[in-house]
Amino acid sequence: MITNTRINNLNKTQMLVLTAMIFATALVLAIVENILPPLPIAVPGVKFGLSNIAVMYALFFLGEKQAYTIGILKSVFVFITRGGIAGLLSLSGGILSITVMILLMAIFREKITYLIISIFGAVFHNVGQFIVITVIYTGMNMWAYLPVLLISGLAAGIVTSTLLKFIMPAFQRLA
Amino acid sequence: MKFFKRTDIIIIISILLISIVSWGIYNYVFAEDRVKAEIYYCSELVETVDLNSGEEKTFSVPQDKDVIFHLYKDGSIAFEESDCPDKVCIHAGRLKTAGQFAACLPNGIVMKIVPYKERNADDVDLVIGN
Repeated sequence: MITNTRINNLNKTQMLVLTAMIFATALVLAIVENILPPLPIAVPGVKFGLSNIAVMYALFFLGEKQAYTIGILKSVFVFITRGGIAGLLSLSGGILSITVMILLMAIFREKITYLIISIFGAVFHNVGQFIVITVIYTGMNMWAYLPVLLISGLAAGIVTSTLLKFIMPAFQRLA
Repeated sequence: MKFFKRTDIIIIISILLISIVSWGIYNYVFAEDRVKAEIYYCSELVETVDLNSGEEKTFSVPQDKDVIFHLYKDGSIAFEESDCPDKVCIHAGRLKTAGQFAACLPNGIVMKIVPYKERNADDVDLVIGN
């Protein structure tokens, strides 16, 4: 169903190991991102979402199940390290983001570009988190936040997909 | 799949347009000429007081019961009592206009007056343990 950039000829063990390594990469990226100095933007918590690079890689090269696995496991990690609400945010953002990316790829097939997939993934990651926040802490104004969500998702999407693009040739050689 | 196509620019521009439009909607639909006081404890927003409500009350923030604020009927707010040694906060007097602020540094409390509408779009509404 998805355009075939999948790595072929992987037996189950190889797929398991590769997924695990990509998951570890996602975690490392998240940690590194946390260490970097906070951006000079009014809204805190706006991040580039570098770990999305790993998730996107999994989605493009490994498979949907693997991508979801990494997303869910990452949320568990966030839950363990940063607490319940953060874990919930990560879960909702991650699941929504991956689902939207899969839908985009399914609907548009060849016509979509990596850049747009990445942007939508980032934007909907923010949307997913925002929905959870609105449910938990009532009274957030949707219109006020929409520009923030969109623009930060836009920027994040561009950054992550560009980074992924630079890495891709190296991964192509694996396949 | 390619990385980038011409049509992508259209999508990006429309996303930017949507954000600008929604920001505009927010500003004009929800526009009100009011101010409110935001009270921060250790850089976390803990209380917001609408200065237009016409109430008069004395209250303190749950995080620090020793610092007492007083909200006046005319819409100004002031530090009334505090257990700090220097009482700079109390000397700041009554705050009423947007942009003013007073702080009780020994207690880690900062109070600032912000426009009721404009700041809401990009100010910090919520700090989630980062």
